[in-house]
Amino acid sequence: MSIAASLTSGELTVKSPVRRKLFGDLARTRLSGAILIALLLLLWEVSAARGWIVSDNWPRFSAVLVAAYRGLLSGELAEILGSTLYRMLAGYAAGCILGVLFGLVLGSNRVLDWIIRPLIEIQRTLPSPAIIPPLILFLGVDDTLKIFIIMLAVFPPVFVNTYGGVRGLDETLLLTAKTFGLSRFDTLRKIVLPATLPAMTAGMRIALSLALIMAVIGEMISGASGVGNYLMSMQYAMRADSMYAAVICLAASGYILNRVFLRLERAALHWHHSMQAE
Amino acid sequence: MFSMRNLSRVLLTAAFAALATAASAQTVRVNYIPITDVTPLFVAIDKGYFKDEGLTIVPTPSTGGAAGVPGLMAGAFDVMYGNVVSTMLAQQQGFKLEVVSAGTKQFDNPANTNGMVARKGEGIRTGKDLEGKTVAVNTRNGIIWLFARAWIAKSGGDATKVTFKEVPFPQMPDALRGKQIDAAFMVNPFFNASVTDPNTFEFVAAPYREVQPDVEVGHYISTQEYFAKNKETLAKYNRAFRKGVQWYNANLKDPDLIRIISGFTKMQPELVAKLNLQILPEIVNLDSVATTVKLMKDNGLVTSDIDLAAMTAPDALK
Repeated sequence: MSIAASLTSGELTVKSPVRRKLFGDLARTRLSGAILIALLLLLWEVSAARGWIVSDNWPRFSAVLVAAYRGLLSGELAEILGSTLYRMLAGYAAGCILGVLFGLVLGSNRVLDWIIRPLIEIQRTLPSPAIIPPLILFLGVDDTLKIFIIMLAVFPPVFVNTYGGVRGLDETLLLTAKTFGLSRFDTLRKIVLPATLPAMTAGMRIALSLALIMAVIGEMISGASGVGNYLMSMQYAMRADSMYAAVICLAASGYILNRVFLRLERAALHWHHSMQAE
Repeated sequence: MFSMRNLSRVLLTAAFAALATAASAQTVRVNYIPITDVTPLFVAIDKGYFKDEGLTIVPTPSTGGAAGVPGLMAGAFDVMYGNVVSTMLAQQQGFKLEVVSAGTKQFDNPANTNGMVARKGEGIRTGKDLEGKTVAVNTRNGIIWLFARAWIAKSGGDATKVTFKEVPFPQMPDALRGKQIDAAFMVNPFFNASVTDPNTFEFVAAPYREVQPDVEVGHYISTQEYFAKNKETLAKYNRAFRKGVQWYNANLKDPDLIRIISGFTKMQPELVAKLNLQILPEIVNLDSVATTVKLMKDNGLVTSDIDLAAMTAPDALK
Protein backbone atom coordinates (compact mmCIF):
# COMPACT_ATOMS: atom_id res chain seq x y z
CA MET A 1 0.00 0.00 0.00
CA SER A 2 2.77 2.41 0.92
CA ILE A 3 4.58 1.66 -2.34
CA ALA A 4 1.41 2.32 -4.32
CA ALA A 5 0.83 5.57 -2.53
CA SER A 6 4.36 6.80 -3.06
CA LEU A 7 4.19 5.90 -6.76
CA THR A 8 0.89 7.60 -7.48
CA SER A 9 1.68 10.76 -5.60
CA GLY A 10 5.22 10.94 -6.91
CA GLU A 11 6.64 12.23 -10.17
CA LEU A 12 5.04 9.42 -12.26
CA THR A 13 1.56 10.95 -12.02
CA VAL A 14 0.81 13.46 -14.70
CA LYS A 15 -2.95 13.81 -14.97
CA SER A 16 -5.73 13.67 -12.35
CA PRO A 17 -3.69 12.24 -9.52
CA VAL A 18 -6.69 12.01 -7.23
CA ARG A 19 -8.69 9.78 -9.52
CA ARG A 20 -5.71 7.61 -10.34
CA LYS A 21 -5.03 7.24 -6.65
CA LEU A 22 -8.60 6.29 -5.85
CA PHE A 23 -8.86 3.59 -8.52
CA GLY A 24 -5.32 2.43 -7.93
CA ASP A 25 -5.96 1.92 -4.26
CA LEU A 26 -9.30 0.21 -4.85
CA ALA A 27 -7.84 -2.19 -7.39
CA ARG A 28 -5.25 -3.22 -4.86
CA THR A 29 -7.76 -4.15 -2.18
CA ARG A 30 -10.05 -7.16 -1.67
CA LEU A 31 -12.93 -4.82 -2.47
CA SER A 32 -12.10 -4.91 -6.19
CA GLY A 33 -13.60 -8.42 -6.44
CA ALA A 34 -16.83 -7.25 -4.88
CA ILE A 35 -16.95 -4.28 -7.24
CA LEU A 36 -16.70 -6.53 -10.30
CA ILE A 37 -19.57 -8.67 -9.02
CA ALA A 38 -21.66 -5.57 -8.29
CA LEU A 39 -21.03 -4.22 -11.80
CA LEU A 40 -22.07 -7.51 -13.40
CA LEU A 41 -25.26 -7.61 -11.32
CA LEU A 42 -25.99 -4.02 -12.34
CA LEU A 43 -25.52 -5.02 -15.98
CA TRP A 44 -27.99 -7.88 -15.39
CA GLU A 45 -30.57 -5.47 -13.92
CA VAL A 46 -30.19 -2.94 -16.72
CA SER A 47 -30.22 -5.55 -19.51
CA ALA A 48 -33.54 -6.93 -18.27
CA ALA A 49 -35.09 -3.57 -17.40
CA ARG A 50 -34.14 -1.95 -20.72
CA GLY A 51 -35.20 -4.99 -22.74
CA TRP A 52 -31.72 -5.71 -24.14
CA ILE A 53 -32.44 -9.33 -23.35
CA VAL A 54 -36.06 -10.42 -23.67
CA SER A 55 -36.93 -13.76 -22.14
CA ASP A 56 -39.11 -15.25 -19.44
CA ASN A 57 -35.89 -16.82 -18.19
CA TRP A 58 -34.20 -13.42 -17.70
CA PRO A 59 -35.96 -11.56 -14.89
CA ARG A 60 -34.59 -8.32 -13.42
CA PHE A 61 -32.04 -8.87 -10.69
CA SER A 62 -34.17 -6.77 -8.37
CA ALA A 63 -37.04 -9.24 -8.91
CA VAL A 64 -34.67 -12.05 -7.95
CA LEU A 65 -33.76 -10.21 -4.76
CA VAL A 66 -37.44 -9.80 -3.92
CA ALA A 67 -38.02 -13.52 -4.56
CA ALA A 68 -35.01 -14.38 -2.40
CA TYR A 69 -36.28 -12.14 0.39
CA ARG A 70 -39.73 -13.74 0.24
CA GLY A 71 -38.30 -17.25 0.05
CA LEU A 72 -36.01 -16.66 3.03
CA LEU A 73 -38.76 -15.01 5.03
CA SER A 74 -41.20 -17.89 4.50
CA GLY A 75 -38.52 -20.43 5.33
CA GLU A 76 -39.01 -22.15 1.96
CA LEU A 77 -35.47 -21.49 0.72
CA ALA A 78 -33.91 -22.47 4.04
CA GLU A 79 -35.73 -25.80 3.95
CA ILE A 80 -34.65 -26.47 0.36
CA LEU A 81 -31.04 -25.52 1.04
CA GLY A 82 -31.06 -27.55 4.23
CA SER A 83 -32.08 -30.76 2.49
CA THR A 84 -29.45 -30.26 -0.22
CA LEU A 85 -26.71 -29.47 2.28
CA TYR A 86 -27.63 -32.44 4.45
CA ARG A 87 -27.23 -34.87 1.53
CA MET A 88 -24.15 -33.09 0.32
CA LEU A 89 -22.40 -33.29 3.69
CA ALA A 90 -23.40 -36.93 4.19
CA GLY A 91 -22.02 -37.91 0.75
CA TYR A 92 -18.99 -35.70 1.28
CA ALA A 93 -18.16 -37.30 4.61
CA ALA A 94 -18.58 -40.81 3.20
CA GLY A 95 -16.45 -39.99 0.13
CA CYS A 96 -13.70 -38.36 2.23
CA ILE A 97 -13.52 -41.26 4.67
CA LEU A 98 -13.35 -43.85 1.89
CA GLY A 99 -10.90 -41.76 -0.13
CA VAL A 100 -8.52 -41.38 2.82
CA LEU A 101 -8.82 -45.06 3.80
CA PHE A 102 -8.17 -46.36 0.31
CA GLY A 103 -5.43 -43.79 -0.25
CA LEU A 104 -3.60 -44.81 2.91
CA VAL A 105 -4.03 -48.55 2.38
CA LEU A 106 -3.25 -48.69 -1.33
CA GLY A 107 -0.45 -46.17 -0.92
CA SER A 108 1.33 -48.41 1.53
CA ASN A 109 0.38 -51.92 0.40
CA ARG A 110 1.62 -52.92 -3.03
CA VAL A 111 -0.49 -56.09 -3.44
CA LEU A 112 -3.78 -54.39 -2.58
CA ASP A 113 -2.73 -51.51 -4.79
CA TRP A 114 -2.38 -53.84 -7.78
CA ILE A 115 -5.71 -55.52 -7.09
CA ILE A 116 -7.91 -52.52 -6.40
CA ARG A 117 -6.44 -49.51 -8.18
CA PRO A 118 -7.43 -50.50 -11.74
CA LEU A 119 -11.06 -50.61 -10.59
CA ILE A 120 -10.75 -47.18 -9.00
CA GLU A 121 -9.03 -45.76 -12.07
CA ILE A 122 -11.96 -46.90 -14.21
CA GLN A 123 -14.59 -45.68 -11.76
CA ARG A 124 -13.13 -42.22 -11.62
CA THR A 125 -13.44 -41.69 -15.35
CA LEU A 126 -17.19 -42.42 -15.28
CA PRO A 127 -19.28 -39.24 -15.36
CA SER A 128 -21.72 -39.56 -12.48
CA PRO A 129 -24.82 -38.33 -14.39
CA ALA A 130 -24.30 -41.19 -16.85
CA ILE A 131 -24.58 -43.86 -14.20
CA ILE A 132 -27.61 -42.43 -12.41
CA PRO A 133 -30.29 -44.32 -14.42
CA PRO A 134 -28.87 -47.79 -13.70
CA LEU A 135 -28.18 -46.79 -10.10
CA ILE A 136 -31.87 -45.92 -9.67
CA LEU A 137 -32.63 -49.62 -10.18
CA PHE A 138 -30.55 -50.53 -7.14
CA LEU A 139 -30.80 -47.52 -4.90
CA GLY A 140 -34.22 -46.03 -5.66
CA VAL A 141 -34.66 -42.30 -6.16
CA ASP A 142 -34.34 -41.04 -2.62
CA ASP A 143 -31.51 -39.95 -0.36
CA THR A 144 -29.56 -43.20 -0.69
CA LEU A 145 -29.06 -42.66 -4.42
CA LYS A 146 -28.06 -39.02 -4.06
CA ILE A 147 -25.69 -39.56 -1.17
CA PHE A 148 -24.13 -42.43 -3.10
CA ILE A 149 -23.45 -40.40 -6.25
CA ILE A 150 -22.03 -37.54 -4.19
CA MET A 151 -19.76 -40.07 -2.52
CA LEU A 152 -18.67 -41.36 -5.93
CA ALA A 153 -17.73 -37.85 -7.02
CA VAL A 154 -15.93 -36.96 -3.79
CA PHE A 155 -13.91 -40.17 -3.57
CA PRO A 156 -11.50 -39.73 -6.55
CA PRO A 157 -9.85 -36.39 -5.68
CA VAL A 158 -9.50 -37.35 -2.01
CA PHE A 159 -8.16 -40.78 -2.92
CA VAL A 160 -5.71 -39.55 -5.56
CA ASN A 161 -4.26 -36.87 -3.30
CA THR A 162 -3.98 -39.11 -0.26
CA TYR A 163 -2.46 -41.89 -2.33
CA GLY A 164 -0.01 -39.46 -3.90
CA GLY A 165 0.83 -38.08 -0.48
CA VAL A 166 1.63 -41.52 0.90
CA ARG A 167 3.64 -42.45 -2.16
CA GLY A 168 5.61 -39.22 -2.06
CA LEU A 169 6.53 -39.68 1.59
CA ASP A 170 10.15 -38.95 2.40
CA GLU A 171 11.91 -42.31 2.76
CA THR A 172 14.09 -40.87 5.51
CA LEU A 173 11.05 -40.27 7.67
CA LEU A 174 9.98 -43.89 7.41
CA LEU A 175 13.52 -45.13 8.05
CA THR A 176 13.75 -42.88 11.08
CA ALA A 177 10.49 -44.33 12.37
CA LYS A 178 11.89 -47.79 11.90
CA THR A 179 15.09 -46.85 13.72
CA PHE A 180 13.08 -45.61 16.65
CA GLY A 181 11.15 -48.89 16.67
CA LEU A 182 7.72 -47.34 16.05
CA SER A 183 4.85 -49.78 15.56
CA ARG A 184 2.92 -49.73 12.27
CA PHE A 185 0.05 -47.91 13.93
CA ASP A 186 2.32 -45.32 15.51
CA THR A 187 4.14 -44.82 12.20
CA LEU A 188 0.78 -44.17 10.59
CA ARG A 189 -0.38 -41.83 13.31
CA LYS A 190 2.86 -39.95 13.93
CA ILE A 191 4.53 -39.94 10.51
CA VAL A 192 2.26 -40.87 7.60
CA LEU A 193 -0.90 -38.99 8.57
CA PRO A 194 0.73 -35.66 9.44
CA ALA A 195 2.94 -35.78 6.35
CA THR A 196 0.07 -36.54 3.98
CA LEU A 197 -2.42 -34.19 5.62
CA PRO A 198 -1.65 -31.23 3.32
CA ALA A 199 -2.24 -33.39 0.22
CA MET A 200 -5.38 -34.89 1.75
CA THR A 201 -6.93 -31.54 2.56
CA ALA A 202 -6.08 -30.26 -0.93
CA GLY A 203 -8.11 -33.17 -2.35
CA MET A 204 -10.92 -32.53 0.11
CA ARG A 205 -11.10 -28.89 -0.90
CA ILE A 206 -11.50 -29.81 -4.58
CA ALA A 207 -14.11 -32.39 -3.60
CA LEU A 208 -16.11 -29.85 -1.62
CA SER A 209 -17.39 -28.01 -4.69
CA LEU A 210 -17.84 -31.32 -6.55
CA ALA A 211 -20.08 -32.54 -3.75
CA LEU A 212 -22.30 -29.49 -4.01
CA ILE A 213 -22.52 -29.83 -7.80
CA MET A 214 -23.42 -33.53 -7.60
CA ALA A 215 -26.01 -32.91 -4.90
CA VAL A 216 -27.81 -30.47 -7.19
CA ILE A 217 -27.46 -32.65 -10.31
CA GLY A 218 -28.85 -35.66 -8.44
CA GLU A 219 -31.86 -33.64 -7.32
CA MET A 220 -32.45 -32.32 -10.82
CA ILE A 221 -32.68 -35.86 -12.18
CA SER A 222 -34.82 -37.38 -9.50
CA GLY A 223 -36.52 -36.59 -6.28
CA ALA A 224 -38.86 -34.26 -4.54
CA SER A 225 -36.69 -31.95 -2.48
CA GLY A 226 -33.61 -29.80 -2.50
CA VAL A 227 -32.22 -27.03 -4.66
CA GLY A 228 -31.93 -29.12 -7.85
CA ASN A 229 -35.57 -30.15 -7.75
CA TYR A 230 -36.56 -26.56 -6.93
CA LEU A 231 -34.61 -25.22 -9.94
CA MET A 232 -36.46 -27.63 -12.23
CA SER A 233 -39.91 -27.00 -10.82
CA MET A 234 -39.44 -23.24 -10.89
CA GLN A 235 -38.46 -23.45 -14.56
CA TYR A 236 -41.57 -25.45 -15.37
CA ALA A 237 -43.69 -23.04 -13.33
CA MET A 238 -42.18 -20.07 -15.24
CA ARG A 239 -40.86 -18.56 -12.04
CA ALA A 240 -37.34 -17.65 -13.11
CA ASP A 241 -36.97 -15.09 -10.30
CA SER A 242 -37.45 -17.78 -7.65
CA MET A 243 -35.08 -20.05 -9.56
CA TYR A 244 -32.27 -17.50 -9.52
CA ALA A 245 -33.01 -16.74 -5.87
CA ALA A 246 -32.24 -20.38 -5.10
CA VAL A 247 -29.10 -20.23 -7.28
CA ILE A 248 -27.85 -17.19 -5.37
CA CYS A 249 -28.48 -18.86 -2.01
CA LEU A 250 -26.68 -21.94 -3.27
CA ALA A 251 -23.69 -19.86 -4.39
CA ALA A 252 -23.64 -18.13 -1.02
CA SER A 253 -23.64 -21.42 0.87
CA GLY A 254 -20.90 -22.78 -1.40
CA TYR A 255 -18.82 -19.70 -0.63
CA ILE A 256 -19.43 -20.00 3.10
CA LEU A 257 -18.59 -23.72 3.08
CA ASN A 258 -15.32 -22.98 1.32
CA ARG A 259 -14.44 -20.27 3.86
CA VAL A 260 -15.24 -22.62 6.74
CA PHE A 261 -13.10 -25.29 5.11
CA LEU A 262 -10.15 -22.90 4.69
CA ARG A 263 -10.46 -21.87 8.33
CA LEU A 264 -10.42 -25.50 9.46
CA GLU A 265 -7.58 -26.35 7.12
CA ARG A 266 -5.50 -23.49 8.45
CA ALA A 267 -6.17 -24.58 12.01
CA ALA A 268 -5.21 -28.20 11.25
CA LEU A 269 -2.11 -27.32 9.26
CA HIS A 270 -0.86 -24.27 11.12
CA TRP A 271 2.47 -26.00 11.62
CA HIS A 272 2.92 -26.79 7.95
CA HIS A 273 5.51 -24.63 6.20
CA SER A 274 3.45 -24.24 3.04
CA MET A 275 0.91 -22.33 5.12
CA GLN A 276 3.50 -19.84 6.24
CA ALA A 277 4.46 -19.11 2.66
CA GLU A 278 0.98 -17.84 1.92
CA MET B 1 -8.65 -55.26 4.74
CA PHE B 2 -10.40 -52.89 7.06
CA SER B 3 -11.34 -50.64 4.16
CA MET B 4 -12.77 -53.55 2.15
CA ARG B 5 -15.08 -54.43 5.01
CA ASN B 6 -16.05 -50.80 5.21
CA LEU B 7 -16.92 -50.69 1.52
CA SER B 8 -19.09 -53.79 1.68
CA ARG B 9 -20.85 -52.35 4.69
CA VAL B 10 -21.65 -49.19 2.77
CA LEU B 11 -22.96 -51.24 -0.16
CA LEU B 12 -25.08 -53.43 2.11
CA THR B 13 -26.55 -50.42 3.87
CA ALA B 14 -27.41 -48.94 0.50
CA ALA B 15 -29.10 -52.17 -0.63
CA PHE B 16 -31.16 -52.41 2.55
CA ALA B 17 -32.21 -48.80 2.29
CA ALA B 18 -33.52 -49.53 -1.21
CA LEU B 19 -35.46 -52.55 0.02
CA ALA B 20 -36.91 -50.64 2.94
CA THR B 21 -38.74 -48.34 0.53
CA ALA B 22 -40.91 -51.24 -0.71
CA ALA B 23 -44.65 -50.66 -0.59
CA SER B 24 -47.09 -51.07 2.24
CA ALA B 25 -50.67 -51.99 1.30
CA GLN B 26 -52.70 -48.89 1.99
CA THR B 27 -50.20 -46.27 0.97
CA VAL B 28 -49.84 -45.63 -2.74
CA ARG B 29 -46.77 -43.70 -3.85
CA VAL B 30 -47.49 -41.86 -7.07
CA ASN B 31 -44.82 -40.29 -9.26
CA TYR B 32 -45.97 -37.40 -11.42
CA ILE B 33 -44.74 -34.62 -13.67
CA PRO B 34 -45.87 -31.22 -12.34
CA ILE B 35 -48.08 -30.35 -15.33
CA THR B 36 -51.82 -29.63 -15.43
CA ASP B 37 -52.52 -33.10 -16.92
CA VAL B 38 -52.17 -34.70 -13.50
CA THR B 39 -54.57 -32.29 -11.78
CA PRO B 40 -57.26 -34.96 -11.01
CA LEU B 41 -54.77 -36.72 -8.76
CA PHE B 42 -54.44 -33.58 -6.66
CA VAL B 43 -58.17 -32.88 -6.79
CA ALA B 44 -58.78 -36.37 -5.38
CA ILE B 45 -56.19 -35.78 -2.65
CA ASP B 46 -57.51 -32.31 -1.86
CA LYS B 47 -61.18 -33.38 -1.76
CA GLY B 48 -60.40 -36.40 0.42
CA TYR B 49 -61.55 -39.01 -2.15
CA PHE B 50 -58.53 -41.22 -1.47
CA LYS B 51 -58.99 -40.81 2.27
CA ASP B 52 -62.62 -41.94 1.93
CA GLU B 53 -61.31 -45.18 0.43
CA GLY B 54 -58.82 -45.57 3.26
CA LEU B 55 -55.82 -44.76 1.08
CA THR B 56 -52.88 -42.52 1.77
CA ILE B 57 -51.27 -41.05 -1.35
CA VAL B 58 -47.63 -40.04 -1.33
CA PRO B 59 -47.08 -37.94 -4.45
CA THR B 60 -43.48 -37.48 -5.63
CA PRO B 61 -42.70 -35.14 -8.50
CA SER B 62 -40.23 -35.96 -11.20
CA THR B 63 -39.12 -33.16 -13.44
CA GLY B 64 -35.97 -34.63 -14.88
CA GLY B 65 -37.62 -37.66 -16.42
CA ALA B 66 -34.80 -40.14 -15.83
CA ALA B 67 -36.46 -41.39 -12.68
CA GLY B 68 -39.61 -42.62 -14.48
CA VAL B 69 -39.77 -46.32 -15.34
CA PRO B 70 -36.46 -47.32 -13.61
CA GLY B 71 -37.84 -45.80 -10.41
CA LEU B 72 -41.06 -47.78 -10.83
CA MET B 73 -39.15 -51.01 -11.44
CA ALA B 74 -36.93 -50.31 -8.43
CA GLY B 75 -40.03 -49.92 -6.26
CA ALA B 76 -39.32 -46.28 -5.46
CA PHE B 77 -43.00 -45.60 -6.22
CA ASP B 78 -46.07 -47.71 -7.03
CA VAL B 79 -47.88 -45.78 -9.73
CA MET B 80 -46.54 -43.21 -12.16
CA TYR B 81 -47.87 -40.85 -14.77
CA GLY B 82 -46.19 -41.41 -18.11
CA ASN B 83 -46.74 -40.88 -21.80
CA VAL B 84 -47.99 -43.68 -24.02
CA VAL B 85 -44.86 -43.81 -26.18
CA SER B 86 -42.48 -44.19 -23.22
CA THR B 87 -44.68 -46.92 -21.74
CA MET B 88 -44.78 -48.92 -24.98
CA LEU B 89 -41.03 -48.53 -25.48
CA ALA B 90 -40.40 -49.81 -21.96
CA GLN B 91 -42.90 -52.63 -22.47
CA GLN B 92 -41.12 -53.72 -25.61
CA GLN B 93 -37.80 -53.65 -23.78
CA GLY B 94 -39.18 -56.22 -21.36
CA PHE B 95 -40.31 -54.08 -18.43
CA LYS B 96 -43.65 -55.61 -17.46
CA LEU B 97 -45.99 -52.65 -17.07
CA GLU B 98 -49.72 -52.36 -16.46
CA VAL B 99 -51.86 -49.37 -17.43
CA VAL B 100 -53.97 -48.71 -14.33
CA SER B 101 -55.93 -45.61 -15.31
CA ALA B 102 -56.48 -43.04 -18.02
CA GLY B 103 -54.44 -39.83 -17.98
CA THR B 104 -54.56 -37.30 -20.79
CA LYS B 105 -56.48 -37.22 -24.04
CA GLN B 106 -56.70 -34.55 -26.74
CA PHE B 107 -60.47 -34.20 -27.06
CA ASP B 108 -61.81 -32.29 -30.02
CA ASN B 109 -61.79 -28.76 -28.71
CA PRO B 110 -61.13 -25.41 -30.37
CA ALA B 111 -58.65 -24.30 -27.71
CA ASN B 112 -55.09 -25.53 -28.14
CA THR B 113 -52.91 -26.29 -25.15
CA ASN B 114 -49.90 -27.46 -27.12
CA GLY B 115 -48.55 -27.31 -30.63
CA MET B 116 -45.91 -26.37 -33.13
CA VAL B 117 -44.72 -22.78 -32.77
CA ALA B 118 -42.43 -20.81 -35.10
CA ARG B 119 -41.02 -17.30 -35.31
CA LYS B 120 -43.39 -14.69 -36.63
CA GLY B 121 -43.31 -13.88 -40.30
CA GLU B 122 -41.11 -16.73 -41.52
CA GLY B 123 -43.96 -18.36 -43.37
CA ILE B 124 -43.79 -21.78 -41.75
CA ARG B 125 -47.21 -23.41 -42.24
CA THR B 126 -46.61 -27.07 -43.12
CA GLY B 127 -44.16 -29.89 -42.67
CA LYS B 128 -42.87 -29.15 -46.17
CA ASP B 129 -41.77 -25.69 -44.98
CA LEU B 130 -39.69 -27.33 -42.24
CA GLU B 131 -37.50 -29.40 -44.58
CA GLY B 132 -33.88 -28.42 -44.08
CA LYS B 133 -34.81 -26.66 -40.84
CA THR B 134 -34.45 -27.49 -37.15
CA VAL B 135 -37.33 -28.48 -34.90
CA ALA B 136 -37.10 -28.70 -31.10
CA VAL B 137 -38.63 -31.59 -29.19
CA ASN B 138 -38.24 -32.32 -25.47
CA THR B 139 -36.74 -35.78 -26.00
CA ARG B 140 -35.87 -37.91 -28.98
CA ASN B 141 -38.00 -41.05 -29.37
CA GLY B 142 -40.66 -39.54 -27.12
CA ILE B 143 -44.29 -38.83 -27.86
CA ILE B 144 -43.61 -35.19 -28.83
CA TRP B 145 -40.92 -36.30 -31.29
CA LEU B 146 -43.19 -39.00 -32.74
CA PHE B 147 -46.10 -36.64 -33.39
CA ALA B 148 -43.83 -33.89 -34.69
CA ARG B 149 -42.50 -36.36 -37.28
CA ALA B 150 -45.94 -37.71 -38.10
CA TRP B 151 -47.35 -34.20 -38.54
CA ILE B 152 -44.47 -33.20 -40.83
CA ALA B 153 -45.17 -36.27 -42.99
CA LYS B 154 -48.92 -35.65 -42.95
CA SER B 155 -48.56 -32.05 -44.05
CA GLY B 156 -46.41 -32.90 -47.05
CA GLY B 157 -42.90 -32.86 -45.61
CA ASP B 158 -40.15 -35.45 -45.31
CA ALA B 159 -39.27 -35.91 -41.63
CA THR B 160 -35.86 -37.33 -42.51
CA LYS B 161 -34.95 -33.93 -43.98
CA VAL B 162 -35.73 -32.17 -40.70
CA THR B 163 -33.15 -31.88 -37.93
CA PHE B 164 -34.58 -32.63 -34.50
CA LYS B 165 -32.91 -31.00 -31.53
CA GLU B 166 -33.56 -31.88 -27.89
CA VAL B 167 -34.51 -28.73 -25.99
CA PRO B 168 -36.22 -28.79 -22.57
CA PHE B 169 -39.70 -27.20 -22.68
CA PRO B 170 -38.76 -24.17 -20.52
CA GLN B 171 -35.95 -23.22 -22.93
CA MET B 172 -37.90 -23.65 -26.18
CA PRO B 173 -39.13 -20.02 -26.45
CA ASP B 174 -35.58 -18.73 -25.88
CA ALA B 175 -34.09 -21.15 -28.42
CA LEU B 176 -36.67 -19.97 -30.94
CA ARG B 177 -35.96 -16.32 -30.19
CA GLY B 178 -32.23 -16.93 -30.45
CA LYS B 179 -32.72 -18.67 -33.84
CA GLN B 180 -31.06 -21.88 -32.66
CA ILE B 181 -34.21 -23.64 -33.88
CA ASP B 182 -36.89 -22.81 -36.45
CA ALA B 183 -39.90 -24.38 -34.78
CA ALA B 184 -40.72 -26.08 -31.48
CA PHE B 185 -43.40 -28.48 -30.32
CA MET B 186 -44.37 -26.76 -27.08
CA VAL B 187 -46.68 -27.61 -24.20
CA ASN B 188 -48.24 -25.40 -21.55
CA PRO B 189 -47.47 -23.07 -19.88
CA PHE B 190 -44.74 -22.30 -22.45
CA PHE B 191 -47.04 -22.82 -25.42
CA ASN B 192 -49.53 -20.35 -24.04
CA ALA B 193 -46.85 -17.80 -23.15
CA SER B 194 -45.47 -18.01 -26.71
CA VAL B 195 -48.68 -17.84 -28.74
CA THR B 196 -49.89 -14.89 -26.66
CA ASP B 197 -46.80 -12.99 -27.81
CA PRO B 198 -47.86 -12.47 -31.45
CA ASN B 199 -45.08 -9.97 -32.18
CA THR B 200 -42.47 -12.69 -31.75
CA PHE B 201 -44.08 -16.07 -32.31
CA GLU B 202 -46.84 -17.66 -34.30
CA PHE B 203 -48.82 -20.83 -33.95
CA VAL B 204 -48.24 -23.31 -36.79
CA ALA B 205 -50.27 -26.45 -36.09
CA ALA B 206 -51.58 -28.84 -33.45
CA PRO B 207 -49.78 -32.09 -34.35
CA TYR B 208 -51.63 -34.31 -31.87
CA ARG B 209 -55.03 -33.30 -33.19
CA GLU B 210 -54.08 -33.27 -36.86
CA VAL B 211 -52.31 -36.62 -36.81
CA GLN B 212 -54.63 -38.56 -34.53
CA PRO B 213 -57.87 -36.98 -33.29
CA ASP B 214 -58.68 -38.05 -29.71
CA VAL B 215 -55.14 -39.32 -29.15
CA GLU B 216 -54.41 -40.58 -25.63
CA VAL B 217 -51.19 -38.88 -24.66
CA GLY B 218 -50.61 -40.02 -21.12
CA HIS B 219 -51.78 -42.55 -18.57
CA TYR B 220 -50.95 -44.00 -15.18
CA ILE B 221 -48.96 -47.21 -14.97
CA SER B 222 -47.66 -49.63 -12.37
CA THR B 223 -45.59 -52.78 -12.68
CA GLN B 224 -47.57 -55.94 -13.48
CA GLU B 225 -46.20 -57.39 -10.26
CA TYR B 226 -47.59 -54.54 -8.17
CA PHE B 227 -50.89 -54.74 -10.05
CA ALA B 228 -51.23 -58.50 -9.41
CA LYS B 229 -50.49 -58.16 -5.70
CA ASN B 230 -52.54 -55.04 -4.98
CA LYS B 231 -55.74 -55.42 -6.99
CA GLU B 232 -57.93 -54.34 -4.10
CA THR B 233 -55.85 -51.28 -3.34
CA LEU B 234 -55.78 -50.30 -7.00
CA ALA B 235 -59.56 -50.73 -7.29
CA LYS B 236 -59.96 -48.26 -4.43
CA TYR B 237 -57.36 -46.03 -6.01
CA ASN B 238 -59.22 -46.03 -9.30
CA ARG B 239 -62.59 -45.18 -7.72
CA ALA B 240 -61.11 -42.22 -5.90
CA PHE B 241 -59.04 -41.05 -8.85
CA ARG B 242 -62.07 -41.18 -11.16
CA LYS B 243 -64.04 -38.99 -8.75
CA GLY B 244 -61.12 -36.56 -9.05
CA VAL B 245 -61.40 -36.58 -12.86
CA GLN B 246 -65.16 -36.01 -12.67
CA TRP B 247 -64.80 -33.10 -10.27
CA TYR B 248 -62.06 -31.61 -12.44
CA ASN B 249 -64.12 -31.89 -15.65
CA ALA B 250 -67.13 -30.31 -13.97
CA ASN B 251 -65.20 -27.42 -12.42
CA LEU B 252 -62.71 -26.24 -15.06
CA LYS B 253 -63.38 -22.59 -14.21
CA ASP B 254 -63.57 -22.99 -10.45
CA PRO B 255 -61.19 -20.77 -8.43
CA ASP B 256 -60.65 -23.76 -6.16
CA LEU B 257 -59.14 -25.61 -9.12
CA ILE B 258 -56.67 -22.77 -9.68
CA ARG B 259 -55.62 -23.05 -6.05
CA ILE B 260 -55.06 -26.81 -6.42
CA ILE B 261 -53.08 -26.49 -9.66
CA SER B 262 -51.00 -23.64 -8.31
CA GLY B 263 -50.25 -25.79 -5.28
CA PHE B 264 -48.60 -28.69 -7.05
CA THR B 265 -47.20 -26.97 -10.16
CA LYS B 266 -45.90 -23.98 -8.13
CA MET B 267 -47.23 -21.75 -10.93
CA GLN B 268 -48.55 -18.38 -9.83
CA PRO B 269 -52.39 -18.41 -9.75
CA GLU B 270 -52.50 -15.60 -12.36
CA LEU B 271 -50.59 -17.82 -14.78
CA VAL B 272 -52.83 -20.83 -14.12
CA ALA B 273 -55.91 -18.70 -14.80
CA LYS B 274 -54.59 -17.99 -18.31
CA LEU B 275 -54.29 -21.63 -19.32
CA ASN B 276 -57.05 -23.21 -21.40
CA LEU B 277 -57.68 -26.24 -19.25
CA GLN B 278 -59.11 -29.18 -21.18
CA ILE B 279 -61.30 -31.98 -19.93
CA LEU B 280 -59.56 -35.27 -19.14
CA PRO B 281 -60.65 -38.86 -19.86
CA GLU B 282 -62.14 -41.26 -17.32
CA ILE B 283 -61.36 -44.41 -19.28
CA VAL B 284 -58.68 -45.76 -21.58
CA ASN B 285 -59.68 -46.31 -25.21
CA LEU B 286 -57.62 -49.23 -26.49
CA ASP B 287 -58.37 -48.48 -30.16
CA SER B 288 -56.85 -45.05 -29.75
CA VAL B 289 -53.75 -46.51 -28.06
CA ALA B 290 -53.49 -49.09 -30.85
CA THR B 291 -53.44 -46.29 -33.45
CA THR B 292 -50.55 -44.64 -31.61
CA VAL B 293 -48.68 -47.95 -31.39
CA LYS B 294 -49.10 -48.34 -35.14
CA LEU B 295 -47.65 -44.87 -35.58
CA MET B 296 -44.70 -45.93 -33.44
CA LYS B 297 -44.22 -48.94 -35.68
CA ASP B 298 -44.32 -46.80 -38.82
CA ASN B 299 -41.56 -44.64 -37.34
CA GLY B 300 -39.43 -47.59 -36.25
CA LEU B 301 -39.94 -47.15 -32.52
CA VAL B 302 -41.45 -50.58 -31.94
CA THR B 303 -40.87 -53.71 -33.96
CA SER B 304 -43.00 -56.40 -32.32
CA ASP B 305 -46.71 -56.47 -31.54
CA ILE B 306 -47.82 -55.39 -28.10
CA ASP B 307 -50.84 -57.03 -26.45
CA LEU B 308 -52.57 -53.88 -25.23
CA ALA B 309 -55.59 -55.61 -23.65
CA ALA B 310 -53.32 -57.84 -21.59
CA MET B 311 -51.44 -54.87 -20.15
CA THR B 312 -54.44 -52.70 -19.29
CA ALA B 313 -56.33 -53.06 -16.03
CA PRO B 314 -60.04 -53.93 -16.65
CA ASP B 315 -61.01 -51.11 -14.24
CA ALA B 316 -59.36 -48.59 -16.55
CA LEU B 317 -61.53 -49.63 -19.49
CA LYS B 318 -65.04 -49.21 -18.09
